[in-house]
Amino acid sequence: MNPPAPKRLWQWFAHTRVGRSIFRVGLPQSNLERAQAMVSSILLHIQPAKVHRHSLKPGYTLGLGLVSLDLFFILTATGVLLMFYYVPSTDRAYQTMKDLQFVVSAGLLLRNMHRWAAHLMVLFVMLHLCRVFYTGAYKRPREFNWTIGVGLFLMTLGLSFTGYLLPWDQLAFWAITVGTNIAGYAPVIGPKLQFLLLGGHTVGQEALTRFYALHVIVLPGVAALMISVHLWRVRKDGGLSRPEEPGDVVEQRPLEQLPVNKSYGLMELARGTTPQVGIDPQDEIFSWPHLVFRELLLFLLVSAVVLFLAIFWNAPLEEFANPIHPPNPAKAPWYFLGLQELVSYSAFWGGVLVPGLLVTALVLLPYLDRNRGGVGRWFARERVVANTIFTICLLTAIVLTIIGTFFRGPNWGWVDPWKPTPVQTEGH
Amino acid sequence: MNPPTGPAPNPVSRRGFFQLTFGWLAAAFAVAASAAGAVRFLVPNVLFEPSQVFKAGKPDDFLDGSATFLEDERVFLVRQGNTFRCLSAICTHLGCTVNRADHGYHCPCHGSVFDDQGNVKSGPAPRALEWFQVTFSKDNRILVDKNRRVTAENALVLPAKV
Amino acid sequence: MNDGSVRQFYAWFTALGLLVGALVVLGYYKDQYREWKDYQHKFINEEIRRAATPQQKILAEAIPVEIRQILLPELNRVDRCTTCHLASEDPSYGAYPQPLTYHPLHEQHPFDKFGCTVCHRGQGRATTAEDAHGNVPHWDQPMLPLKYIQASCGQCHQAADNPGAPQLARGQQVFEDSGCRGCHKLGGVGGNIGPELDKVGARHTPEWLKRHFLAPSTVTANSAMPPQKLPEADLEAVTLFMLSQTGESAPGYYASMKVIPSPGQGQRLFTQKGCIGCHSVAGQGGKVGPALDDVGLRRSPEWMMAHFRDPQSVTPGSVMPKFGFTESEARALTDFLVHLRERNVALSLPSLMGPVERGRQVYRKYGCAGCHGADAKGGVPNPNAKTAQQIPGLLYVADGYTKAELKMRITKGQREIPALDAKRPPPPLYMPAWGSTIGEPELNDLVDYLVSLKPKGEDVGF
Repeated sequence: MNPPAPKRLWQWFAHTRVGRSIFRVGLPQSNLERAQAMVSSILLHIQPAKVHRHSLKPGYTLGLGLVSLDLFFILTATGVLLMFYYVPSTDRAYQTMKDLQFVVSAGLLLRNMHRWAAHLMVLFVMLHLCRVFYTGAYKRPREFNWTIGVGLFLMTLGLSFTGYLLPWDQLAFWAITVGTNIAGYAPVIGPKLQFLLLGGHTVGQEALTRFYALHVIVLPGVAALMISVHLWRVRKDGGLSRPEEPGDVVEQRPLEQLPVNKSYGLMELARGTTPQVGIDPQDEIFSWPHLVFRELLLFLLVSAVVLFLAIFWNAPLEEFANPIHPPNPAKAPWYFLGLQELVSYSAFWGGVLVPGLLVTALVLLPYLDRNRGGVGRWFARERVVANTIFTICLLTAIVLTIIGTFFRGPNWGWVDPWKPTPVQTEGH
Repeated sequence: MNPPTGPAPNPVSRRGFFQLTFGWLAAAFAVAASAAGAVRFLVPNVLFEPSQVFKAGKPDDFLDGSATFLEDERVFLVRQGNTFRCLSAICTHLGCTVNRADHGYHCPCHGSVFDDQGNVKSGPAPRALEWFQVTFSKDNRILVDKNRRVTAENALVLPAKV
Repeated sequence: MNDGSVRQFYAWFTALGLLVGALVVLGYYKDQYREWKDYQHKFINEEIRRAATPQQKILAEAIPVEIRQILLPELNRVDRCTTCHLASEDPSYGAYPQPLTYHPLHEQHPFDKFGCTVCHRGQGRATTAEDAHGNVPHWDQPMLPLKYIQASCGQCHQAADNPGAPQLARGQQVFEDSGCRGCHKLGGVGGNIGPELDKVGARHTPEWLKRHFLAPSTVTANSAMPPQKLPEADLEAVTLFMLSQTGESAPGYYASMKVIPSPGQGQRLFTQKGCIGCHSVAGQGGKVGPALDDVGLRRSPEWMMAHFRDPQSVTPGSVMPKFGFTESEARALTDFLVHLRERNVALSLPSLMGPVERGRQVYRKYGCAGCHGADAKGGVPNPNAKTAQQIPGLLYVADGYTKAELKMRITKGQREIPALDAKRPPPPLYMPAWGSTIGEPELNDLVDYLVSLKPKGEDVGF
């Protein structure tokens, strides 16, 4: 039967001389072509030709890592466009934000998309971290990928934090003032670190320039590299984690046992397992179209959500930054509010020790966890201790963040958010 | 060897056909609209340069028979009697600012000479100097529009005052 | 892959593709539909309708639909008000409703040099009515109600004797009369009991300021400021004067007209600059330079202007120094001298006054009336003060203090005011130490004035 018109049109084009020179594999019609499509495409070849059936289960990964990646793409695209109007100068930054809102076509929409995607990305990276923990997917051989993941988490926070300053309004200025002050509490290196971040002693033009450079090129560049390594390791570690089955090969072929032919070709040298080794044929599924199409659907869904938020809710823009007029209270961005709450109890314990220990624990986690079981399942019984500890820490962080967000008012005093705010007699 | 696991040739139902076409059309439209939106985004709606339309001043600010140089706008405001014209001061050769001579204009960069009408008398300039539209604004000022080029004959003529 | 999952995929693909497509359309539509385009179409249609000749019609049809803005780099702002207020320069639109109304022109303030927000405030960069008028969260410069518009004159021009802004001038008068400086510093001069007032016009709304005069403790917790009893017109005037204190200084070109030329301003300058030191008027003054009574008859205004700019250039060998007057100051002085004869000026010059009169000026200058009452009569409440819960008047200070004691008292002030009831909070108002603010000569004059206050012929009989 005739395939529908777009497909026929595409097939015709793919077989012209021009088409054949661009697309080395047309729309895959056979299994061979399906495998070739993945390998011969620069965009697709970071993914394997076949994946395990289990990896496609939405209920397993919830697609959280992919959502984070999609948000990264959306942020990059909207961010590059915004760069054509934004000026990183203390005199002009705020004005360019107003201009984006009022006189630039689609300026408000793009700015909103950028802001909401940024908040969502921090959230989804955190959710992804939790998912990987609860499914034990950081265990051998995936320890180092977890470490890269923690690094990416820090990159995400860094990107969000550096971007937060750029509008140069009261919200931006004071959030970064609070945030860099927390950084300054670190022992020995704290004040030097703060000085380096700010390019001086106060949040001013130098800080804005540095944060802009970090935000648009340094951090995205490093993050992009780390993402590539992160995805590459997924492949080399045997695909996404899944429940162990008999016959799964986990050991790697030692390098000494090179074959006799010594051609040093790729197939001889490549170490590590591929998803196909030791897997039942009915468990393996071609990436084209199953994986790739699902990824496309997810990207459409993420785009739809970001667009929806951007159309109906505006990103905040407060008054022009005024260094002599701090708001009361001055709050850090939401992902640091838990830290700010801790810091209000003790600068050192809350600002340095606890977060320092947390990050160290996260990084070293796969090497501290000797229990090799419980991989590939949510809340596996044999991991109840680890899961409990993690959940307690997670809930604590959430509670602290909630307190910092809703229950703290002027002078960081306790307020009940359901009571009406007392009428301020000063000011307006 | 694995048995082939490709899809069996399946007849596409009417619903499937519509779904497919609409799906691709919608996705293609979304992509095209986003690209068009991004391009439109990059076209500035306002400029932060001195405006091309400006007020040169009141008629009485200019003496009869004068060609007054307005530095910021790089034009000459020429008055003869009650007739006002505006001549561009940008040499058509390589863009230097021309100077007023006793009769006509002279470019200091490569020696182009223009007459009072802006036509090239000598020198490397390829074209005559441009005249801009002059009108009278609602608040009684000379209004020059550098977006509109006119011929040398085009001028603002004010009613003679007693 | 089986048929079912392919079809499922395509179904999802269609649904999501349509959703994203719809959202893109919605976003685009929301962005393209702008309020100002509506107003511009209305204006263009009106211009076409009113076109009397074919040429006018062509011109009207050619009016572009676009954002209009006035660039004001020196003032660090961009005003886009003319995007909607398109007829602001056309007198024939006088009777039209906003935003197409005509704005009466001030010859001295052309729109392309001043824009709109420098006088009207508001958010010039905005392109919707609500945002531009500025009554929105996170914009602290909403548009001034029109009745307070003269407050903006005070940003560039002097308030006193301002013929173009009589309400502003009146406001400053009320401010000086009421002695506000006794507790508040303005321009660096004044007491330190209340906050400085230099930026108060930028920090508070007109409503807040007015209410603050009427009942300070309702807008400022723990305020010691007594309620001000003023007639409504004076209240509005002094509110307006407070609104003019924005702490912004006009840059460059805009500051050159600080003094608006008028004979009154000229007289003021004449007094301030000490011209009477060398020249005489009505027989009083110095003999170094010529008497100025008839100078308006002998010299032209142009000569006088040149003389102010550079005395040597018109009178070679003159010993009159170059004072560096601004153009507007020179014009004001010229105005004053030209009209000297007509005004029959009774110059109130410090060097011609006696010490008591000078002392009265000092009393006024530092705002003593704010606490001790107009003409030192007292009556300002100070809760829980032993002195009848009031700040004492000064009419009878001659009875209780020597001049030396008075001087000491003014110099050192009195921080602790004896309380009537020890269980209640201490009295909020106190006497500041004026020693570092009021110099010795002014102090002597002030004391002379104060001891002269006792009503003559009264026998108080302590």
